[in-house]
Amino acid sequence: MIQLLVFRERIKNLYQRYDLYIIPIVKFLFALIAFETINREIGYDERIKALPVLLALSLLSAFMPSAIMVLLAAFMSVLHVYSESPILAIIVGIIMIILYVLFARFTPKLGYVLLAIPVLYTLKIPFVIPILLGLIATPISIIPTVCGVIIYFVFQVVKTAVTMQVNKTVEDILLLYTNVIDNLTGNKLMILSFVIFAMIILVTYFVRKMKFDYAFEIAIVSGAVTSILGFLISDLILDRSDEIISMILGTIASAAIVYAIHFFRFTLDYSGVEYAQFEDDVYYYYVKAVPKITVTAPQKNVKHFNVKNVDKNISKTNSYNYDDADIDDYDEDEAYLHVNDYENDDE
Amino acid sequence: MLNYRKIRIMHKLAVYENKEGKEDIQLSKYYKTDYVRYQVLKSIICATVGYALILLLIFLYQSEYLVRNAVNLDYKTIGLYILGIYIIIITIYGFGSLIGYSLKYDASRKKLGRYYKLLNRLNKIYKEESPES
Repeated sequence: MIQLLVFRERIKNLYQRYDLYIIPIVKFLFALIAFETINREIGYDERIKALPVLLALSLLSAFMPSAIMVLLAAFMSVLHVYSESPILAIIVGIIMIILYVLFARFTPKLGYVLLAIPVLYTLKIPFVIPILLGLIATPISIIPTVCGVIIYFVFQVVKTAVTMQVNKTVEDILLLYTNVIDNLTGNKLMILSFVIFAMIILVTYFVRKMKFDYAFEIAIVSGAVTSILGFLISDLILDRSDEIISMILGTIASAAIVYAIHFFRFTLDYSGVEYAQFEDDVYYYYVKAVPKITVTAPQKNVKHFNVKNVDKNISKTNSYNYDDADIDDYDEDEAYLHVNDYENDDE
Repeated sequence: MLNYRKIRIMHKLAVYENKEGKEDIQLSKYYKTDYVRYQVLKSIICATVGYALILLLIFLYQSEYLVRNAVNLDYKTIGLYILGIYIIIITIYGFGSLIGYSLKYDASRKKLGRYYKLLNRLNKIYKEESPES
């Protein structure tokens, strides 16, 4: 444990020292993964898939607010769909606008959730987001989470719909359109996913708010258990039993990732809890203060002592010029230290 | 000589101004009623646009049925339904925004109060430093 804490301290120090460079780099990597996932999932337009475009967009996202990244991703996916089927692109665009004006605009700070959920879905660990949001945000984060789930399923439907051969007649277009809407509104998995994601956020949030020891850790576990139970039930109802193993593994991996994030935020030391009681005119206070675990990363200073030259060195120390202060706090260890300084100077 | 007290306060102020303060300071330019009214108006417009788009999707989805039965449709009932749902949505969004943005405004005012307190303290330090002015 202590090694981990030291490691955390090192990373934190590193981050504090170089955050000016680390933040854009992390954003760049995140954007790169997100755009690459979009390209892999619905990469119909070769021009947008080209590496220079990908790098340029990621670079742009690295130095812009996260809203720009989400907007770029939205444009990119609509353009990809457009190259295959303009009608589908219009439908996707309209659905995105509806999601934005009715829901997502109320939680501007959580915009990245809209992008993160579809991306993590393809990596099979979408459960990271609800558990994490339950831990660090409020239940209002259900709104962007649900929007993210909808976006993912919209693109799943679009992926199957682009394979349909469509002529330019009005009937065909309408058929395609009703097919997409039928698939979306009749998608029980999507509706169950909303409910389960919302439940994960609520369970994690309320457990985290409780006043017992290790509430944060227990909140993560209960979020993961809610997720496993919920999706187990939904998989059994919808007869998707082949998905169960990957779902359970994904949830465990998600919980581990969230725990790692939580570990870097802070770790509480429950052995050092302090209780305090005091009063003012209106209230009586029972205060429980849990200290955060902090360790200072040890500074490694390597000093070389050359045994062979000790005699020679001691004679050298005699020639070292001490002032009064030096003599006052002179001790044997320091003598070696000075010797060493001397040697280095010689070299 | 460096005045550490001043530096500490200035640092706190700068951090606040750079992060959450940005929005709070922006908000402080409005009266509460103006701000909330503006946000409610924005919400209502957005809800209207969203509702219109949903109606468009539903209309397209049902277009075949609508075209086939264009003559014997009960337009009055449909219109009333659309209007009724619209009023419900507008009410929910309007009141939701009213409550939500009022709370937000109050919270930001509180934070801004702390900010002004620090500013005052800084001002005092400046006055102490140059009493002649």
